[in-house]
Amino acid sequence: MTAAASPVAVMAERLRLKYPGEQSPLLFQGLNVTIRHGEKVLLLGPSGCGKSTLLQVLGGLAPAAIPIPLKADRLIVPERAGYVFQDPDAQFCMPYADEELAFALENRGVPQERMPAFIARCLEEAGLKLDDPHTPIATLSQGMKQRLAVASMLAVEPDTLLLDEPTALLDEEGTAQVWDALRRIWEGRTVIIVEHKIGLIADDMDRILLFAPDGSFEADAPPDVIFRDCRSQLQQYGIWYPGFWEDYAADRLEGHLPKLVAPGTAKTICSAGAELELAAGSAGIAGSTDMEQTQPTAPSAAAQQAQPQSADSGSAQLAAAAPAPLLELDGFAGLRGRAAKVRTGKLFVYPGDWIAVTGANGAGKSTLLLAIMRLVRSEGRLCLCGVPEQRLRKAKQAAEHAAYCFQNPEFQLVTDSVRDELDYSLPDTLQGEIRDAHVRQLMSRFRLNGLGSRHPYQLSMGQKRRLSVASAMARGQRLLLLDEPTFGLDAAGTAAMMEHLEELRRDGCAIVMITHDGELVRRFTTRHWLVEDGQVHAVPFTAATPSAASTTASLSFKGGLPE
Amino acid sequence: MNLTFPHRQTWLHRVNPAHKLMVSALLFVLVLFTHNLNVMILLTAAALLPLLFTGHPPLRLLLYASPFLLLFVSSASGMMMFGTGDTVWFRYGLIRISEESFYRGLHLGFRSLQVAAVGLTFALTTRPVALFYSLMQQLRLPARYAYSFLAAFNMLPLLAGEFLILRQSLQIRGRRPRGLKGYYERLRMYAIPLLAQCIRRAHRTAAAMEAKRFGSGSGVRTYYYRYSFTGADVWYAGYIVLSSVLAWQLGQIGPFTSAIDVR
Amino acid sequence: MSMSTASKRSKGLTLTDILVTIVISVVFGLIYKIWGPMYDLLKPLGLHAEQLSYGMWFMAGTFAFLLIRKPGAAILAEVSAAAIEAFLGGSWGISTLWYGLFQGLGAELFFALFLYRKAGPVVAVLASLGSATASIFIDRHYGYIDQLAFWNYALFISMRLLGSLVIAGLFAWALARALERTGVVNLLRPASAKDYDALGN
Repeated sequence: MTAAASPVAVMAERLRLKYPGEQSPLLFQGLNVTIRHGEKVLLLGPSGCGKSTLLQVLGGLAPAAIPIPLKADRLIVPERAGYVFQDPDAQFCMPYADEELAFALENRGVPQERMPAFIARCLEEAGLKLDDPHTPIATLSQGMKQRLAVASMLAVEPDTLLLDEPTALLDEEGTAQVWDALRRIWEGRTVIIVEHKIGLIADDMDRILLFAPDGSFEADAPPDVIFRDCRSQLQQYGIWYPGFWEDYAADRLEGHLPKLVAPGTAKTICSAGAELELAAGSAGIAGSTDMEQTQPTAPSAAAQQAQPQSADSGSAQLAAAAPAPLLELDGFAGLRGRAAKVRTGKLFVYPGDWIAVTGANGAGKSTLLLAIMRLVRSEGRLCLCGVPEQRLRKAKQAAEHAAYCFQNPEFQLVTDSVRDELDYSLPDTLQGEIRDAHVRQLMSRFRLNGLGSRHPYQLSMGQKRRLSVASAMARGQRLLLLDEPTFGLDAAGTAAMMEHLEELRRDGCAIVMITHDGELVRRFTTRHWLVEDGQVHAVPFTAATPSAASTTASLSFKGGLPE
Repeated sequence: MNLTFPHRQTWLHRVNPAHKLMVSALLFVLVLFTHNLNVMILLTAAALLPLLFTGHPPLRLLLYASPFLLLFVSSASGMMMFGTGDTVWFRYGLIRISEESFYRGLHLGFRSLQVAAVGLTFALTTRPVALFYSLMQQLRLPARYAYSFLAAFNMLPLLAGEFLILRQSLQIRGRRPRGLKGYYERLRMYAIPLLAQCIRRAHRTAAAMEAKRFGSGSGVRTYYYRYSFTGADVWYAGYIVLSSVLAWQLGQIGPFTSAIDVR
Repeated sequence: MSMSTASKRSKGLTLTDILVTIVISVVFGLIYKIWGPMYDLLKPLGLHAEQLSYGMWFMAGTFAFLLIRKPGAAILAEVSAAAIEAFLGGSWGISTLWYGLFQGLGAELFFALFLYRKAGPVVAVLASLGSATASIFIDRHYGYIDQLAFWNYALFISMRLLGSLVIAGLFAWALARALERTGVVNLLRPASAKDYDALGN
């Protein structure tokens, strides 16, 4: 490769790094990196291994501007580094696009009279066409905001581009546009990227640096070599790569992955609760002092014995019972103000359904779910578990029958520990030991064991999501509404979340899930609602459907990572 | 607030924002030392008048000014009913309205009106960006503070959106704790997620600002917008000085009431 | 060559500190704006029940210091919260800037008295009383509160002190602790010498 002869652009020798705070472990312990001028390098590694922090060090942002404990024998940073960060809502300090670009120019002391031309050029190079540069940033789409971030990076005339997950929070269209813009400007510049959604750019890279969870190098090689030789590590670290979902499906068929569903837990939480009461009753006879010891094991053991059959027979059972719909909609509309934002025809949701709700941003997907939860006003017929809309005046009443999970789980978590959070969610009718047993049951069911005293904010994203689902479903609801449940999760987290939802589905729950991810629609869900022009269409679900449907066709290029 | 609705730009918008801020702040000091009810009424009238020149349509102005009445009553009533004074007009239980306390109450009511009118005029005719640029240029406010303020302003709509989501999520959870503890609990349930999110976002924004060489630039800052003093500033200063002097002089003669000093 | 000295370990407010402080104030400024009309509704009774809630206006200062723990944070927070409230068209207009400045100073004084090293409930309560005292000082000139009947004057002052003690003192402290438990505050803690020791040689 020609780059090998180029001068060194970035270099770190024996770099050691940690977050401030006594308990926080070392992120890197003696890392050596050399990146030559003009190279395109992708940093790949499991969530939380410190890649983003490393990017700040390699660009010279830390520790000069961002104090962070760091030592290195030698550190060469680029003369003019330009950054694009992940969050479109936390990159700008000015209200208008031109003012934001001017901010960067002001910092460099560019004379005022040269600014308008400079601003126009930066916007053009970043592929952001605005009728008037003096446009409020708040009116731009997320994808346009990220291109504005690219433009303001250009305003510092960088020789090295450091891109910290610039498309992680964008939809497919925005992602493609941002990478198009970046690809146009990165010729002749050094580029260092941290990104999980690499489908569109992996081939442009000269090198991929693969990190292990402890921050050490796993590999440093061109992309084709990495994707050929390091598949097991990639899989193990939960990193998406071309072919991730194919390998995932194959492994599940061969039984390589941990078995998905322990059929013993294949019961609705309602019946699990009934069992708990039985178990608690018998424990009560045995003697109250022993109860604390006997409780944790009793429920799961009882559940295991209750249903030794396979998951298949479980769903057969469901089919045989010919269940009543958990949700009925007829001429239903979710309103924003007085206007109908989204309308449906006649729609039913039965136990065992897993429905994907797709559609463009702002199509009304969230409004539909919020209207079902009585959080926004609605008209038309709604029936939740047999209860008609007249008796569902308040969100609290709807929440007795349907569980709802917001995109950001933190907004749903109100207490100081996982245990309290679950306890807070349980109905008041449960008291004492039975209540505690329920909490423990929920913790094991949602794989939160051992995290009882952890603060909900200190959990990983996947754990937070599971906790929010657990607390939302703590009252035994069998209808689960989710707003982008894989948002912000890495490939492993996404797969785990999907497996978990599949488990709930087989238990007889119904899931209605907003997603932008065609892979998930294709591989996991059983039905598909498409929201288009304010109307919900039930898409006939066959194996070929996802690629046939207009919005999901554009999804198929990427590897199923959430945005 | 002036950003939210389109409105006509007037000469008040062209007044140098730092100048306008200083004058508005000094007007409060003037009010603090005004103990003559007549003067206070005239000062209030002088403060209400510029509202008509803010470029906002009259109906919207009325909407903005709607809390003024409540403000007047709330400021005046306590002093009227419970203030000290010798010439008692009315007495009922603890309530004791005297001539002195009545006029003092009125005085307080007009003070509130004046302060609110000055504040509203300022808010309606000043863009935050203009204010902080002007504060940097005319009053040497360090850039770190000025741009932090502007960045924080940008977060207001996000914050409002998050507040709505939070309210929905708490509606679903459906518990309303009561009492002093409940009061704190509700405060906590709203504040913690909002603040946590804000701190993260502020941290990221600070990094993004530094990445654009905010702290490590060439040292000499240039400005996209330049603010200086114009004819509008002369008009504005002239109006304020003239109206204040007139109010003080006329007030001594006392066109409205006999109450000269409300203290 | 060791890079361990590369980091500026300044005691002053960094850009992050300033931005976080001001953003916290935005949250409180918003709360103040919502709080204002409620205060106005209670006030005409003249019995000063509204003074119990006045402590809310001092909360930004104590709370910001309890998080940032650096000189100037309390003043900056109070002034910015006041500025935001004024900008949102709060009914006290520009006068809030003066109140903010004095209230911030009142709180800052007590934090300084403990050399900015203490961030417990006692110092939070003292600072909240400092803010309250400063606000009473302005109100004596602005609102002639000393011209109220003695019992009413005493009620006014004790209600305001009590309100600030509970809200700006104890609530602020409890809230800061609750926020610390989320772990987010670690973003604001500066690197210590211990951190550098942990990195080895």
